[in-house]
Amino acid sequence: MTDVDVVVVGGGATGSGILRDLAMRGLRVLLVERADFGSGTSGRYHGLLHSGGRYVVSDPVSARDCARENAVLQRIAPHCLELTGGYFVATPDDPDDYVSGFPAACADAGVRTDEVPLRELFAAEPLLNRRIRAAYAVRDASMEPWELIDANRASAREHGSDAWRYQALVGVERGPEGSVRGVRLEDRRTGEQRAVSCQVIVNAAGAWAGQVAALAGATLRMSPGKGSMLIMNRRLTSAVVNRLARPGDGDIIVPVHTVSILGTTDVSVEDPDEVEVTAGEVDALLADGDRLVPGLSSARVLRSYAGCRPLYKASEMGARDTEAQRAEAQHAESREISRAHHVIDHGARDGVPGLFSIVGGKLTTYRLMAEQTSDRVCASLGIEAPCRTADEPLPAPPGARPYWLGGRLAAVEADGGGDADLVCECEIVTGSLLRHALDERPDSSLDDLRRSTRLGMGPCQGAFCTCRAAALLAERADAGQRPPEAPEPNDSLRAFLAERLRGAAPIAWGDQLMELWLEAGVYRGTMAVETLPAGKRTASTDAIS
Amino acid sequence: MPSADVVVIGAGLAGLTAAIELAERGATVQLVAKGMAATHWAHGGIDVAAPVGARSPANGVSRLRARAGHPYAILEPDLGAALAGTLACLADGGLAYRGDLRAPLRPFPTPIGGLRPAAIVPAGQAPALEPWAPGEGLLLLGIERFRDFWPQYAARNLARRAWARGPSRIASAVAALPGIGGLHNLNSLVLARRFDDPSWRAEAIAALRAAIPGDGPWRVGVPAVLGMERHAEVLAEVTEAIAHPVFEIPTLPPSIPGLRLFDVLRARAGAVGVRTQVGFEVAEVERDGDTVTAIATRTAARPLRIMARDVVLATGGIGGGGLRGRRDGSLEERVFGLPLAAPARAEWLRGDLYGANGVALESAGIRVDDELRPIGPRGEVVLRNVRVAGSALAGMRYLVERCGDGVALASAYRAARLIAGAADAARTAVAS
Repeated sequence: MTDVDVVVVGGGATGSGILRDLAMRGLRVLLVERADFGSGTSGRYHGLLHSGGRYVVSDPVSARDCARENAVLQRIAPHCLELTGGYFVATPDDPDDYVSGFPAACADAGVRTDEVPLRELFAAEPLLNRRIRAAYAVRDASMEPWELIDANRASAREHGSDAWRYQALVGVERGPEGSVRGVRLEDRRTGEQRAVSCQVIVNAAGAWAGQVAALAGATLRMSPGKGSMLIMNRRLTSAVVNRLARPGDGDIIVPVHTVSILGTTDVSVEDPDEVEVTAGEVDALLADGDRLVPGLSSARVLRSYAGCRPLYKASEMGARDTEAQRAEAQHAESREISRAHHVIDHGARDGVPGLFSIVGGKLTTYRLMAEQTSDRVCASLGIEAPCRTADEPLPAPPGARPYWLGGRLAAVEADGGGDADLVCECEIVTGSLLRHALDERPDSSLDDLRRSTRLGMGPCQGAFCTCRAAALLAERADAGQRPPEAPEPNDSLRAFLAERLRGAAPIAWGDQLMELWLEAGVYRGTMAVETLPAGKRTASTDAIS
Repeated sequence: MPSADVVVIGAGLAGLTAAIELAERGATVQLVAKGMAATHWAHGGIDVAAPVGARSPANGVSRLRARAGHPYAILEPDLGAALAGTLACLADGGLAYRGDLRAPLRPFPTPIGGLRPAAIVPAGQAPALEPWAPGEGLLLLGIERFRDFWPQYAARNLARRAWARGPSRIASAVAALPGIGGLHNLNSLVLARRFDDPSWRAEAIAALRAAIPGDGPWRVGVPAVLGMERHAEVLAEVTEAIAHPVFEIPTLPPSIPGLRLFDVLRARAGAVGVRTQVGFEVAEVERDGDTVTAIATRTAARPLRIMARDVVLATGGIGGGGLRGRRDGSLEERVFGLPLAAPARAEWLRGDLYGANGVALESAGIRVDDELRPIGPRGEVVLRNVRVAGSALAGMRYLVERCGDGVALASAYRAARLIAGAADAARTAVAS
């Protein structure tokens, strides 16, 4: 049986940050994730590193945290960022009092802003609505979640701690006083179970934290807030653009790699796995997007996706709640709930010593959340080592610098042909990049490879690269380089096509519908994908989202 | 102002064959298309009909024509002549095909190791459909650094599946062709053009031959890149040099067999006097009641207006761009705004887009009367002098039924026959 000090449940940014933080303080930590790292909320957000401006009016505590962490991340994780900068702009539909109060609210919350003359704004962002009447520059950036999570894991590895994916928590072992003693895990690809002993469990399962707490005998009522986003087929702006209004639908455009993300709705949902994008959300996002970039709604939408915010009502009291209080909490609209985070010690609260939950928060403040959680864990274990994650940069590839649009192309051109040949033209994913990703994690599915390389994320949405990459998996399988739990190439190919389709279905009109038809024509008409033999197992990792 | 007896809109299999047939029957024909056709995406074989269980194209057609609203319910009588005419035209152009309506549908291996039913294919693909002799193996022979053909993946899949009366064994190999080490991102077009060059070809064929393992007999499947303009010559040389039967396997776009098909038909159209304008979308339509009198395309300088007596609409389905889904959940016919048979938006993708049965929207399209004129919801003819051909027709699922090419040919032929026949009848009436 594996024996560690702390098990962290949840392989998003927060869990990975906690893994790193505790490992740097000398603890033996194991992170477990039920699917791929960064496949939950962290991999399904709009890609924004907040300046804090978004929250200066509605949630000044969060705004201050964001501003501080923004500066920290620019220092410790520059290679995960693109320093796009950002604007807050007042469209004719935005309320006057919000616009006029914004600079002072920023000053109060420690968020740096500079008013931008409109002439300069339109010179820099020519597609923006010419009826915009005020603009403020902020230090927004776009952030690559998977690289950030990888870097945190890499740092933890350097300090002797590990992370396992596709391991679902299925049980918690507790001692005579109810204290945590260990966890039982189930491999979601093989069904094998194993036990890990530990003194502390950190529940960093985000929107799924309620389910994890329940396994340990504690009550935690999350209020997951589904946020849907659209991917536009190119960069509509070169900086992040936010509206000067309380957070609402369609209020932000984030340039991410070769595309723009249009966000975000907020819908309270019961089940955090309920992340289907509805037609109503698509309409709302496009209508509001038109306010920022007129005509945006007739541009090509590549894909839709949604994530679930790990929202939590701070007044929630746990097991001692009355039914009435719970009912009230359920009815609260999720956007009104604080975006601030909370560390919960379930010892006194629920009689489960050794269980801590971290809830709420946002990707921008993941490190701070990790620090505060780790402080509480260390205090409970009598460990005095201080947090060093804000000072010590995350591991980065040699020569790494902030992302820029031409970076991958420059690297390919420097390398020349051969193995640098492109597998995915849209995102400039080379054969060597994929082989390297498979060397690192030989059990990867195509969707796992997408998260580590951006395979299939561009305009053609996998039409060309899916079979090329599946063929690479097959070569590895024939060479005995795929571990037994790795999905079969055919299963992975089918699952990848299905997942790409899931995102395209809500926006299947115009050019993107045509694209789907051409793709179906290739995969069925020429490739006869429907006749491929099934893999040797019925369960596949790709089926786990 | 230019005028023509007939304007054909669309340059796919339906548009080109309709234009050729009309011109050969004496009409002046103007063909306009907004771009290259779906032939560039397809495998270059002629899929007539292969619904599940069909034994031959003819047998498939007889199953499909029984389905209410299927185009073959109208088109079946024209199919034989249409197919024979097109295959003769292709053979004249140096692109021989094998197979006919009675040929058995046999499994054709795909580049990822699927098997699709095929019966009528270019000569270069035909050896794949011959019965397998005892002891005969299938060798999938790839080209080093060519990204779009995966012999190892295909062999792995083909070896792990049921293939009744298939090869005795399946293997893969890769050949390093000369002088392509410095090229980046090799696609099929680059390789096909290289094969047109006789001196390079000699070395390349030697390299292919050297890569074949000695433990034959093999039948050798190679990516469909064996030449573009000089394909017949390349095919003959490769077949002779390799001493095993060789066949081409069509792969990811751009499809070389599809390009060859397009090139031969387009050349024929030019030779029989079809005037062709590719790269311009129809921007305006003039009508007189239920009759189209002229169409106009937008050119760089000014609209080009073309008067016509008859129109063949061969703009394709959703994939070809003739039909377009709109955000409001409606489906639009792009040239005339014709009424369409289509499921509700919520049903469009019901089913499995990558599965054997496809999705509901695949059967959407233009409903027509027996003379291929577009009709409305009550069966009324909407435009009297427009005939619809090809994938814009409602009532088929060409990927499920593998019937798109047969429907294209038969509808094009029928449209041409009706238009030319009416013109002949009018002339006869005047003469008498």
